[in-house]
Amino acid sequence: MAKRDKTSASAGADEIDAARVRKLAALLDETGLGEIEYATDRWRIRVARGTPTAEPARVARPAAEPAAASAPGPEADAANDANLPGAVKSPFVGTAYLRPAPDQPPFVKLGDEVKEGQPILIIEAMKVMNEVVSPRAGKIARIAVENGAPVEYGSLLMVID
Amino acid sequence: MFEKVLIANRGEVALRILRACKEMGIATVAVHSTADADAMHVRLADESVCIGPNAAKASYLNIPAIVSAATITNADAIHPGYGFLSENAKFAEIVEAHGIAFIGPSAEHIRLMGDKVAAKAALVKAGVATVPGSDGPVKDADEALAAASVIGYPVLIKAAGGGGGKGMKVAESPKSLGAAFHLARAEAATAFGNDSLYLEKYLAHPRHIEIQIVADNHGNVIHLGERDCSLQRSHQKILEEAPSPALNAEQRARIGKIATDAIRAIGYRSLGTMEFLYEDGRFYFIEMNTRLQVEHPVTEAISGLDMVREQIKMAAGAPLSLTQDQVRLEGHAIECRINAENPETFAPSPGRVTDYHVPGGLGVRVDSALYAGYAVPPYYDSLVAKLIVSGNNRNECLLRLRRALDEYVIGGIETTIPLHRRLVSNSDVINGAYDTHWLERWLGLER
Repeated sequence: MAKRDKTSASAGADEIDAARVRKLAALLDETGLGEIEYATDRWRIRVARGTPTAEPARVARPAAEPAAASAPGPEADAANDANLPGAVKSPFVGTAYLRPAPDQPPFVKLGDEVKEGQPILIIEAMKVMNEVVSPRAGKIARIAVENGAPVEYGSLLMVID
Repeated sequence: MFEKVLIANRGEVALRILRACKEMGIATVAVHSTADADAMHVRLADESVCIGPNAAKASYLNIPAIVSAATITNADAIHPGYGFLSENAKFAEIVEAHGIAFIGPSAEHIRLMGDKVAAKAALVKAGVATVPGSDGPVKDADEALAAASVIGYPVLIKAAGGGGGKGMKVAESPKSLGAAFHLARAEAATAFGNDSLYLEKYLAHPRHIEIQIVADNHGNVIHLGERDCSLQRSHQKILEEAPSPALNAEQRARIGKIATDAIRAIGYRSLGTMEFLYEDGRFYFIEMNTRLQVEHPVTEAISGLDMVREQIKMAAGAPLSLTQDQVRLEGHAIECRINAENPETFAPSPGRVTDYHVPGGLGVRVDSALYAGYAVPPYYDSLVAKLIVSGNNRNECLLRLRRALDEYVIGGIETTIPLHRRLVSNSDVINGAYDTHWLERWLGLER
C-alpha cells in the first residue's frame, strides 16, 4: 500500500548482513523504539519502523572506497524481507489482526516456534475473518504489521525463519 | 459531495477519473494489480492499494478485493469506469450494500440493459423501434431457422448476455445457420456464462449512431447529441466522431427526443448511451450501455460539458447542470482509438515505451496513461491512447487529425497510428461516406 509521500529507495549495496539487519529489526520490536542506528568504523546501519511512509533501511558504504555504480535497488527493508523464502505475504486486501479477539493474547510473538499450518494472524475482509497460517515450520523472525493495520495484496505480514 | 473516490479500473480511464476527482478536490484511491504498480494513475493517486496478481479475474474483476480496499481506505464512492465491473449488477449491489456510492445507474437498470433481450423488450414497450429480430431468445437451431426465415437473411446471431460487440455471428443462408448457431452458443457460454441467443436482421449498410443521455436522481434527463461510431473492426470501434456526418438537425432532434423519452419512462439515472443502427433514414435500437463510454471525449468537445464530473456530481445527488435548452453542440470532434497492436495484423504488441511525444496545439487532446519508460502489460485490453481533435467543422478536424497523427510518437511498441493515418487520407472517410461494414471491407481489400 502506498501513500503519496514515497521516499526514495537507496542504492543497493553488495554486503548486506541480513542477520544483522534482522537482529536490529527484532530489537526494534522488542523495545518499541521507532528507529535504531548502529555504526562501526567500517559501516553504519539504520533500521526504522516499517510503516508505509517510513524510510527504508540503508547500509552505507565506507567513505574510503569509491561509490558503487550499481542500479538502484528496491526499498531495502520491505522488498528484501518480502523476497525471503520465509516471507508471509497477504493473499488479499483487508485488515490484519494479530489476536483472535481483542481480549485474547496474540497468535504468536516474535521468536515463537511455529508449525506448518499453524494460524499466525487473521485478515478481515468484508466482515469475514480469514485465518492466515504459517507456510512452514520455523521461528517468527519478524512481525511486519501492527494490529488493525490495513493490508493490500502482497503486503509483507511476517517473516518465518 | 464525496470526500474520497476509489477508482475501480486501470489505464487511460482510471487517469480520466482521477483527473475529474482532483479538479473537484476529491481524494483518490487507485486499486491496481501487481502488473500495474507503476501505472500513471497509481502514481498520481493520493492512496493506492494492490488488490491482486496480474490476471484481471484476480484483480480488476475481484469484487471482494475491491470492496475491501474501499473499506480499509474509507472511500465513500467507487467509480467503475468502463469494462471490468462497470456493468456488473452484483458489484453495484454489493457496493451499495456496504454504504458506498456506486457512481453509475442502479443495479436493476444495469441488469435490465445487460440482458440484451430484456432491454429490447423494455425499449419496444417505451415505443422505440428496434432491429427486426427474433423478439426473444431462440432455444435451439430449429427455432433459429424458423425465426430467420421470417426475419430474412442474412441474420446476426447475438448473445443475450453479451454486448460491446462481442460474441456475434453472421449467417448468410439457412445452410450456414446451424453451424453459426452452435458456435455462437459455445462462445456465449464461455465468454458470458450465459448461452442464451437471439437473432436480428443483419442490415446491409447501417451506420452505428449512439445517443449520449445524462439523467440525474431527480428525474431530469437530457441528451448531448450523437456519436457516429461506424468504423469498426470485429465490432470494435476504431474511430468515432460527433456529430454524425449523416444526420441533419431535424433527425438529431428526433432521435434525441426518442432517447430521452425512453430514459424518462424507464426511470434511468446517471450517464448512459443508447445505440442505434441507422439505415435509410430509420433508427433501430440495438442496445444500451449503462456506463461512461470510451468515446465520451468527442461529446465533451462539442458540448463543453465535463461528463465524468457531471456523473460524479449526479451520483452525489446534485441535479443536472444543464437543461436541454441550455445544451449547445458546436463544432466537430473526432477520436482515434490507438491500440498497442501491429497496424496490419493487429497482433498485440505489449512492451516498454521508449520515446514518447504527444501532439499538442489548439483542439488536440490525448487521453492516455502512457509515458516514456512505461511497460505496457500483456494482460489487459490493448487500448493505450485516445487522440481527440476538435475544430469548427469536420474539415478542420480532418486537417488537424492528419497533423496530430503525424506528430504523435510512441516508440518501443507497435501501435495502430499508421492505420489511422491511412484512414484519414481515404476519400470515403474524408467524405463521411462509410457504414459499419466499410472498415472490414477496406481491410480485406488492403490485404
